[in-house]
Amino acid sequence: MSQTPAVDVTDLTVAYGEKPVLWDVDLEVPPGVLMAIVGPNGAGKTTLIRTILGMVKPAAGQALVYGRPYEQQRRRVAYVPQRGSVDWDFPTSVLDVVLMGRYGRLGWIRRPGAADREAALVALEQVGMSELAGRQISQLSGGQQQRVFLARALVQHADVYFMDEPFQGVDATTERAIVELLRSLRSDGRTVVAVHHDLQTVTEYFDQVTLMNVRRIASGPVDEVFTEENLRRTYGGRAAVFGRNGA
Amino acid sequence: MTSGQIEIQLIAVVVAVACALPGTFLVLRRLSLVSDAISHSILLGIVLGFFVVGSVNSPLLLVGAALVGLATVVFVQLLQRTGLVKEDAAIGLVFPALFSIGVILISRYADGVHLDIDAVLLGELAFAPFDRIEFWGWDWGPTALVVMSVILAINIGAIAIFWKELKLSTFDPALAVALGFTPALVQYALMGLVSLTAVGAFDAVGSILVVALMIAPPAAAYLLTDSLPRLLLLAAAIGAASALAGYWLAYALDASIAGAMASMTGVAFLLAWLFAPGRGLLAAARRRARQKLEFAQTMLAIHLANHEGLPEAEEESRIDHLDRHLRWPPEFAQRIVRLAHRRGLVEADAGRLTLTQAGRELAADALAR
Amino acid sequence: MLDLFDDYTLRTVALGSAALGITSGALGTFAVLRRQSLLGDAISHAALPGVAIAFLLTGSKAPLVLVAGAALAGFLGTLLVMGIVRTTRVKYDSALGIVLSVFFGFGLVLLTFIQRRPDASQAGLDRFLFGQAAGLLRRDLVTMAILGGIALGVMLLVWKELKLLAFDPDYGTSLGYPMRALDVLLTSLLVVAIVIGLQTVGVVLMAAMVIAPAAAARQWTDRLGLGALLAACFGALAGIVGTVLSTETERLPTGPTIVLCVTAIVLVSLLAAGRRGLIWRELRGRRDRRRLRLAAVLTDLYELERQHPEAHRGHSAAVLSVMSGGAQPSLEELERRGDVRRLGDDAWELTETGREKAET
Repeated sequence: MSQTPAVDVTDLTVAYGEKPVLWDVDLEVPPGVLMAIVGPNGAGKTTLIRTILGMVKPAAGQALVYGRPYEQQRRRVAYVPQRGSVDWDFPTSVLDVVLMGRYGRLGWIRRPGAADREAALVALEQVGMSELAGRQISQLSGGQQQRVFLARALVQHADVYFMDEPFQGVDATTERAIVELLRSLRSDGRTVVAVHHDLQTVTEYFDQVTLMNVRRIASGPVDEVFTEENLRRTYGGRAAVFGRNGA
Repeated sequence: MTSGQIEIQLIAVVVAVACALPGTFLVLRRLSLVSDAISHSILLGIVLGFFVVGSVNSPLLLVGAALVGLATVVFVQLLQRTGLVKEDAAIGLVFPALFSIGVILISRYADGVHLDIDAVLLGELAFAPFDRIEFWGWDWGPTALVVMSVILAINIGAIAIFWKELKLSTFDPALAVALGFTPALVQYALMGLVSLTAVGAFDAVGSILVVALMIAPPAAAYLLTDSLPRLLLLAAAIGAASALAGYWLAYALDASIAGAMASMTGVAFLLAWLFAPGRGLLAAARRRARQKLEFAQTMLAIHLANHEGLPEAEEESRIDHLDRHLRWPPEFAQRIVRLAHRRGLVEADAGRLTLTQAGRELAADALAR
Repeated sequence: MLDLFDDYTLRTVALGSAALGITSGALGTFAVLRRQSLLGDAISHAALPGVAIAFLLTGSKAPLVLVAGAALAGFLGTLLVMGIVRTTRVKYDSALGIVLSVFFGFGLVLLTFIQRRPDASQAGLDRFLFGQAAGLLRRDLVTMAILGGIALGVMLLVWKELKLLAFDPDYGTSLGYPMRALDVLLTSLLVVAIVIGLQTVGVVLMAAMVIAPAAAARQWTDRLGLGALLAACFGALAGIVGTVLSTETERLPTGPTIVLCVTAIVLVSLLAAGRRGLIWRELRGRRDRRRLRLAAVLTDLYELERQHPEAHRGHSAAVLSVMSGGAQPSLEELERRGDVRRLGDDAWELTETGREKAET
């Protein structure tokens, strides 16, 4: 009994000039799991996500979401970029940013209406930010910024969520809140693929992990894949493991 | 050529070289538009200096105007430091205001004096030979030539003396601070040079040409070399060549000399952009074409290596499936297979490809990088 | 004063300046946010050869023709800047500088070349250099109004898409919007805003009309929409006031006057606007510092009291100055507030209220 994988990547190869960033990457993400993408800096993790989302043109290979190319599945996918990718001095409010998640539904020209605001407020409630709806984003802490981005993705009611380092630079409370959020997404049958920077928490937060360094080293359930051997192959021997496998 | 023409060209070359030197550091330090700002606001400096000194031909005027140029930089930094205005916006707020004040002062109070708005932008190089310096009973030459030569000497001197500091603070400001140099001081000294040069060149060639001469030749040189001394030399040479070419173009067309020189710096940059060995567009296109084929062969090797010995190897190594897995059009796939085969990277057997040892090594090398 | 506006020329010029101010203010808001302030400077300088070539090719000086030429040249300039940055290691600021000065220089060559031609009707083209607001005709005004109106209309139409472009283009791409095309669109709108203003303030000063109203507006509000609206108002205000001033005063060229008006608006905004204003910042700082000083003296007095419970002569300012520096003015202020009492020439002690405050 095989369901359509939520994400199915085959032979994905991306190069900037002559510099390979992704080599022949294969990846299958079954629906309803929390998958971490892990690897050293420059391993192509962000590029992998961006290529799946159609922002980068691969030299070879393809990426499918629920069996179809991303362009046909936009409604079912939500993207949470790195926090550092925007200028938080931009003159806009928390609610406004979350409303951007509804733009896909609105299409061109139409402005968000009452229903959209409702949905945005609900999403803010889910991340515990409803009192800050009117706050200027320049006045937010790192953790609050991350929650805003998450709310923006939540409001899309997607089936697959791609996140780029969602735990980077957030306080402990926010970190716990995000983990809770991910778990509730999973119990809803949704899938999360997240680039994760913290090796210590991989086994605790995620069900599956993909280790990569330009090419895919290993991918699968955390217990099986997150081994010292694989980590050594990924990081070139510079990682100590504190997972359930121990030695 | 008349002696007047020779002198004009001499002035043009001196101005070009004098501009190229500080301009190189502006380009390297990403401060190019400061030259735009300074060259506009020194109009105000010249006007104020004129009010103070009473004549257009005094060296005090030069100094005063240069100070206004420095003041421009100070204002811009003050604005930036308030945190209320972004860096680039600060520049665009300060110089139009100062320039406007200058224009208004000229209109209202300096009528009938030889301060012409057009000359501000264009300079009037054609008239330069007529304005000469007579000193101790000797004709030293056109004022512009003497002034610019002195400024050129100052620029060369300053760069030579502060070579270490300039180099370090341009490429590694953090290290410069750690070593006890004051990058801020170097910065202001550089701005002072830029100001002084802009003021001196102003009379002859106007503000726009100053910007062109300070930015385009160094940028062109930047595409041609990696060494700082050679960069400076090339910038100076390209600037001088553009100036001369521009002069002759203006002569042929009977058009603005300064405008023609600015245009020729553009041509020089265009040539470098297209034809620079290694970095030019043409070289890059050729390299890409070559790399595409090599890269594709490496991709083929890696693709085969990745799936070797695995259950799907049967499927993945079929030649006619390459276009699906690697997204290659069939003819391209055939070509790559042929090239790879000739290089001894793969063996073809009944529509299926197998890697040779050489191919396996190539794949391993590529991934090890 | 109102009969000023009966003057046909003044009306035309003022309306033209207002139109320019509104369009460049609104679209300048996006440019400044995206750190493209100086791109506006480059576009305006690059427009010059476009004007000349348009004239050379068509022989016409109709505003639409010249503006079209300016727009095409300006747009070409932007493409070159992006091209240089993308394909070489030359950086953005240098690319701007190159395009700005080379295009402008080329424009000057063309202008002086046209000047020498037998039909010497180049007069009318060099007003694009510094602007010649007084030379605005009705047909210029109509062109400006229509083009400006179209640009503003398009901006309003795709407002939320432009907001997305300015804030998070990657996210926009993930939603399926063609961000590259939107970028081109926004840049084109900026080009239009710039070229319609060239006749009024000229090539050299147009950058200010793109940057200043937006920079001023940003001080007063934290909302994008309101900011654009305010910028448009500031631009219009500067345009009209500048025009009136320059008409009423002798030998005051319009372009520079408008620029100084808008600069004045910026300065006032920086100093006085809302909570960010520099004046308020300074006052707040002083108030906070004073509060700290008063609290310090109060606590010092309290400490002294505890350590020397037998001293009923109070404590001198000199001692207190040693403890927290410069206590005299603070003591006087505290006296005024009823927190300390003066016992003699230089002896101070806490009152009951003062003691309570010190304990907290």
